[in-house]
Amino acid sequence: MPMYKVRSFHGAPGAVRAEQLPTCMYRLQNLHRGPAAAAPPHQEEVDASLLALESRQEEILKRLYELKTAVDGLSKMIQTPDADFDVTNIIQADEYAPLTANAADLDSMLGKDYGALKDIVINANPSQPPLSLLVLHSLLCERYKILSAVHTHSSVKCVPENLLKCFGEQTRKQSRHEYQLGFTLIWKNVPKPQMKFSIQTMCPIEGEGNIARFLFSLFGQKHNAVTSTLIDSWVDTAIFQLKEGSNKEKAAVLRSMNTTLGKTSWLGGNELTVADIVAWCALQQTSSSNAVPANVQKWMKSCENLAPFNSALKLLK
Amino acid sequence: MPSAARKSQERDRASMEPPPADDYAKERYGVLPLIQSQEKSDRVLVRINDLTVEKADEVVWVRGRIHTSRAKGKQCFLVLRQQQFNVQALVAVGDHASKQMVKFAANINKESIVDVEGVVRKVHQKIGGCTQQDVELHVQRIYVISLAEPRLPLQLDDAVRAEVEGEEEGRATVNQDTRLDNRVIDLRTCTSQAVFHLQSGICQLFRETLIRRGFVEIQTPKIISAPSEGGANVFTVSYFKSSAYLAQSPQLYKQMCICADFEKVFCIGPVFRAEDSNTHRHLTEFVGLDIEMAFNYHYHEVVDEIADTLVQIFKGLQERFQTEILTVNKQFPCEPFKFLEPTLRLEYREALAMLREAGVEMGDEDDLSTPNEKLLGRLVKEKYDTDFYILDKYPLAVRPFYTMPDPGNPKNSNSYDMFMRGEEILSGAQRIHDPQLLTERAQHHGVDLEKIKAYIDSFRFGAPPHAGGGIGLERVTMLYLGLSNVRQTSMFPRDPKRLTP
Repeated sequence: MPMYKVRSFHGAPGAVRAEQLPTCMYRLQNLHRGPAAAAPPHQEEVDASLLALESRQEEILKRLYELKTAVDGLSKMIQTPDADFDVTNIIQADEYAPLTANAADLDSMLGKDYGALKDIVINANPSQPPLSLLVLHSLLCERYKILSAVHTHSSVKCVPENLLKCFGEQTRKQSRHEYQLGFTLIWKNVPKPQMKFSIQTMCPIEGEGNIARFLFSLFGQKHNAVTSTLIDSWVDTAIFQLKEGSNKEKAAVLRSMNTTLGKTSWLGGNELTVADIVAWCALQQTSSSNAVPANVQKWMKSCENLAPFNSALKLLK
Repeated sequence: MPSAARKSQERDRASMEPPPADDYAKERYGVLPLIQSQEKSDRVLVRINDLTVEKADEVVWVRGRIHTSRAKGKQCFLVLRQQQFNVQALVAVGDHASKQMVKFAANINKESIVDVEGVVRKVHQKIGGCTQQDVELHVQRIYVISLAEPRLPLQLDDAVRAEVEGEEEGRATVNQDTRLDNRVIDLRTCTSQAVFHLQSGICQLFRETLIRRGFVEIQTPKIISAPSEGGANVFTVSYFKSSAYLAQSPQLYKQMCICADFEKVFCIGPVFRAEDSNTHRHLTEFVGLDIEMAFNYHYHEVVDEIADTLVQIFKGLQERFQTEILTVNKQFPCEPFKFLEPTLRLEYREALAMLREAGVEMGDEDDLSTPNEKLLGRLVKEKYDTDFYILDKYPLAVRPFYTMPDPGNPKNSNSYDMFMRGEEILSGAQRIHDPQLLTERAQHHGVDLEKIKAYIDSFRFGAPPHAGGGIGLERVTMLYLGLSNVRQTSMFPRDPKRLTP
């Protein structure tokens, strides 16, 4: 049965001892173990652990404080953009950076690797083959040593022969880990194309445009903020308006493309970008009755002169 | 016939009272005398799963078991079962049935086998509890063929109840040992029926696929003179004046067939492992599906062939056994089995990289532990969405001595495992077919050369390069259906604690 402590109601044993005793009595040693013998060690025990806890807390607080000052110091060094920050500054500052790619370092772009194949997995529905990703794949093959593979997921019953062979004949002379990049295309019953790379550090990327952006970033091309925004916006326009939009929307896009392509040879300026790839593929895959304006036609020709576009075109037939 | 058995039978039969003389339907029911093949009958018995709306208003004879019976005044509802199919039958007082007949029908013990004559009637409301939902049988005659004892060791309804939480929690289920002790009754449940029909399908598809590809089925001896893989986990049996062993794998014999120019062989047969491990996936006797094949230049020819065989099996199961899969899923819900074609083949170092990325620390030459195997399965599923994949290029150190080393990296080997739902189902490799190298590797592993002399000698007279592997049938069935214990997919399982039935 649990017991509770009662504080001793008479004074401490010392106090008793101090009292004057009658001469007829003699002093006896306390029969019970005095509270001084039992309780204090218990208290000390608690104290010790409490103290340890306290010191630990102090230490953590100290470290936190140090961290805070360090972060404060760092944030003073870095300018934080304010609401009234002048964008032109950034553009000007950026224009000095080289526009074309320096040799892309895959490792720095794709993160730490453990000496094994870095495999990009793309799930796509065979009823809507993601043409732009196939074009990007061929472009990547020109740049890197890529191990490509096509699989059929059990969620789809049959996949046309040409889609199964969309990467052409593969010659696999090397062992897997000697390739710089893996490109695994899985024909699967998915509503939207989906990309998975590192499942620990990255969430899946959905949508053809977004995957195209990721794949294109592997070329390491650098643009200033305005051009990047333009390219981004063309990708969205191509996917949402050219590919999925109404006839009216398509016509509007074609008009604005025509204007842009009158000034520059590619949508993003003077070199081929992801915007051209996605837009070209969207045009190929829409059955539009709209007449294609002259500049756009010229641009389409120059796209088709590139081998990766050409092989994608064969896939459609 | 022993008199005791006969007496007990007579007692059982006597418990069903004979029809009273004044019953107008007395000819229409009763317990038939023991069928000793006295006569050949022309009577056509219709299968219960053939009872559909097309048969409406026909008079048919059906043989089945009494699955349940429920009497209600002048009516008695029976559910007749045949394998995994069942149909509702109704005995109602009327022209064909008397009050006594209804009483008789209601008193027949569950699981008894009966012959029933009745009219197939279309029903307006679907019958939920039966597989034949659109029709019922209006009984005109009912005869008992074989009477079951009144007390069953387990109730079939309890044995198929899904383990659900919440409202229905606490309803009776049957534990594994009771099931296995009374396997004959447990096997009658629709779930067990489906499991073993599907298992037979796996064997059939395995045979079909391989024979189509030019394989030859072989039979190998199960009593052998020397342990084939190491010596630890082998059963010793007395063999006249000396002792012999039960085969742990047909490996040696498969390889000898390759050396004898059969090129592609497979065999289906029992395999024995004297491992004292009581886990959900170990049995001491199981059925091995073994493949061995000579190849031209690269062992991946064999890996692809085996993997494709399995994919064909999965596809075949999906097509032919959808009903069975659904039946099992009712009791043991699980996601459908997913796979890729061609099968995903990863290398061991990639698996290590994936595991390390997930925070697992293990050496380059360590074998996968069971939890890591499971984790890897989850990681692969997450990325590739497949329940079936191959892991290639295992470290040489964790494989048996006859495994061919990797020419590119002496620490690796030309060996592979295949996984279903994160559990290993097949282990295989390119075998060393050069006696010199085989001797070296055996010595390196400290294997007694004297004991494997016959094995090494079989490669001395020219041997084609070859590879192969062995699959556990019970494991494939278990993992395909997403079951949790291999004993559920072994008809009469053998483990360290069970030798009967």
